[in-house]
Amino acid sequence: MDHSGRRSADTDGCKWDAGKRRDSVRWCFVLLASLEIGISREEALEALQVVRQECHGDTARTPGGSGATRKCTALELLEEEQTQGFIITFCSALDNILGGGVQLTKITEICGAPGVGKTQLCMQLAVDVQIPECFGGVAGEAVFIDTEGSFMVDRVVDIAAACVQHCHLIAEAQQEEDHGKALETFSLENILSHIYYFRCRDYTELLAQVYLLPEFLSEHSKVRLVVIDGIAFPFRHDFEDLALRTRLLNGLAQQLIITANDHRAAVILTNQMTTRIGQSQSTLVPALGESWGHAATVRLIFHWDNTQRLATLYKSPSQKESTIAYDITVSVPVGRDMPSWVTLSPGKDCTQI
Amino acid sequence: MAAKKLRRAQLSQEMCERLSRYQITTCQDFLCLSLLELMKVTGQSYYEVQKLLCKVSRACAPKMQTAYEMKLRKSVNPSSAFLSTTLHSLDRVLHGGVPCGSLTEITSPPGCGKTQFCIMLSVLATLPVSMGGLDGAVIYIDTESAFSAERLIEIAANRFPAYYDSDEKLLCMTRSIHLYRELTCCSVLKRIMSLEEEIILKKVKLVIIDSVASVVRKEFDTKLQGNLAERSNFLTRGASVLKYLAEEFSIPVILTNQITTALSSGPGVRADLVSPADDLSLSEGSSVSGKRDSAYVTAALGNTWSHSVNTRLILQYHDLPTRQLLVAKSPVAPFSTFFYTIEKSGLVLQDLNLMKSTLLFQSQDE
Repeated sequence: MDHSGRRSADTDGCKWDAGKRRDSVRWCFVLLASLEIGISREEALEALQVVRQECHGDTARTPGGSGATRKCTALELLEEEQTQGFIITFCSALDNILGGGVQLTKITEICGAPGVGKTQLCMQLAVDVQIPECFGGVAGEAVFIDTEGSFMVDRVVDIAAACVQHCHLIAEAQQEEDHGKALETFSLENILSHIYYFRCRDYTELLAQVYLLPEFLSEHSKVRLVVIDGIAFPFRHDFEDLALRTRLLNGLAQQLIITANDHRAAVILTNQMTTRIGQSQSTLVPALGESWGHAATVRLIFHWDNTQRLATLYKSPSQKESTIAYDITVSVPVGRDMPSWVTLSPGKDCTQI
Repeated sequence: MAAKKLRRAQLSQEMCERLSRYQITTCQDFLCLSLLELMKVTGQSYYEVQKLLCKVSRACAPKMQTAYEMKLRKSVNPSSAFLSTTLHSLDRVLHGGVPCGSLTEITSPPGCGKTQFCIMLSVLATLPVSMGGLDGAVIYIDTESAFSAERLIEIAANRFPAYYDSDEKLLCMTRSIHLYRELTCCSVLKRIMSLEEEIILKKVKLVIIDSVASVVRKEFDTKLQGNLAERSNFLTRGASVLKYLAEEFSIPVILTNQITTALSSGPGVRADLVSPADDLSLSEGSSVSGKRDSAYVTAALGNTWSHSVNTRLILQYHDLPTRQLLVAKSPVAPFSTFFYTIEKSGLVLQDLNLMKSTLLFQSQDE
């Protein structure tokens, strides 16, 4: 085995080459061994592994530098999925079509026309992620990356106050001990202190922030939600080179998937809608092009039907496509089952193919 | 931030020289390259390049602040968060008035009162803080040559007769409103780019552009190929600079837009509609009948522009002389409608029910 050749080729590309060579050697070795020496393939493999361990020691580094192995069986994944929490949105219809709420370790994209409520939902989720576990939340913190400047602290204060009040009502009704203890730390001040806000003014700052995100999440290990409000805005102007834009966006998506998985966080991206001119008609489609559609695991499209706001689950690996109606209200929780800001319009639960 | 030189990102001199040979001098150039390209260009290993990336990113990444710190900062100067419009119901719904630090758009058909509203707001911005103003100068970029200085004085004298009791005070106010006449898209953009210095020099507290739509629609014909993309490009570039100015200096930026009638050839075009509030045929008392299949009116400049503005107010005709003001898009307010008339003192809100009942009494008396 040639060590010096391996050491200088410390890059992914060359590793693959070396790996290929190694594999081909291994193949030959195992086959050869089993043929020549007359031992079975399993025995030859065992012998090879012993030899390899002695030669290489621990110079093999895991790709990506995260340290955690990325392979597991489907059973392990099933167990993980069943015990993992969702970030509830407090709109029961929306939670239903999402299969329980916003999933951790996945990228969810929210597309919608201007003014339809994307930033409102993001601010709501930044508060909901902090709900203590005894109330059904994930007790995490939130990172809010804002590229459009639509984050309104006053609105977050309103939403947080309503959420705290709602939890107080639940605690009063159920009278359990851990509810009271959790409520001590679930205060307005704490909620606001655990929303980490970054204002990125152009795509370079956004790229830089996403590069630094793993480090930040390692320092703040309780973060369970990363919101990028307005992934489209910095990429929609000053970009003559569309190929570069596609590459940067894909790179971003990749990094976000890795980050979401490594830190068990949910990633929410909001996208704009753009007009696509067809031959006879024009339609509203999500911005950033066709290839961006592959980036997110779950895609929600918010749109209007006359004066009713609708949310359609457009893409999901586990739930079927469906549409629900919702409203944005000034948060005034009335009862235990009352969602705090988003109420369901009566009698409108349509399924759309 | 993006144009920050790599030297200032604390990369070694040797590395910077090596990179400049490949024309990579700013952080933006560095971050746009893929990992493989970076390794080739820097001649470093995979892990070294990761470390360099982190270093460069740290140089241009934004600073973190918690929502709590933002709230504290806001509560320290509450009055400077809004420009009160002195239309009390509107102010209440908007939680204070026209918000500082974001873009507000006023859309209407011609003659409804956009320019009147803008002139009124310029007067309000020059008022001292104790009277609800921002105590600063105003930059007014006029593309239609519709600004009338005489009307400005008339509004000021009639709305605040107690304050503007002498000619001198009126003239002092007019001195702090800076008017720029720009007639092409290019010159408007250049002017927007140069605003930063003016804002600092003249202590500007309000920027008004009246109107964006007139220059854009003159120069871009969206039926021609390629014009739609160019128009979006121009608009988003202008919008991002204006947003930066609004946020950096915490000032409101007001833009005016026009109404366009879109003729639809079928149900497919309905998808173009961005929000029902923007579809003026849906709002109450509108004179446009509900002929959905033939035409509908909406704000001009497309939905990329609609994404860029944070607040949108729509003015339109009701029963003359009463007109209607709709809050169509706002992060803090629901859809609301107000009625107003244009008087000597500018816009005056009317309570329609009150008007109707006084008319009833009048007719009963007769």
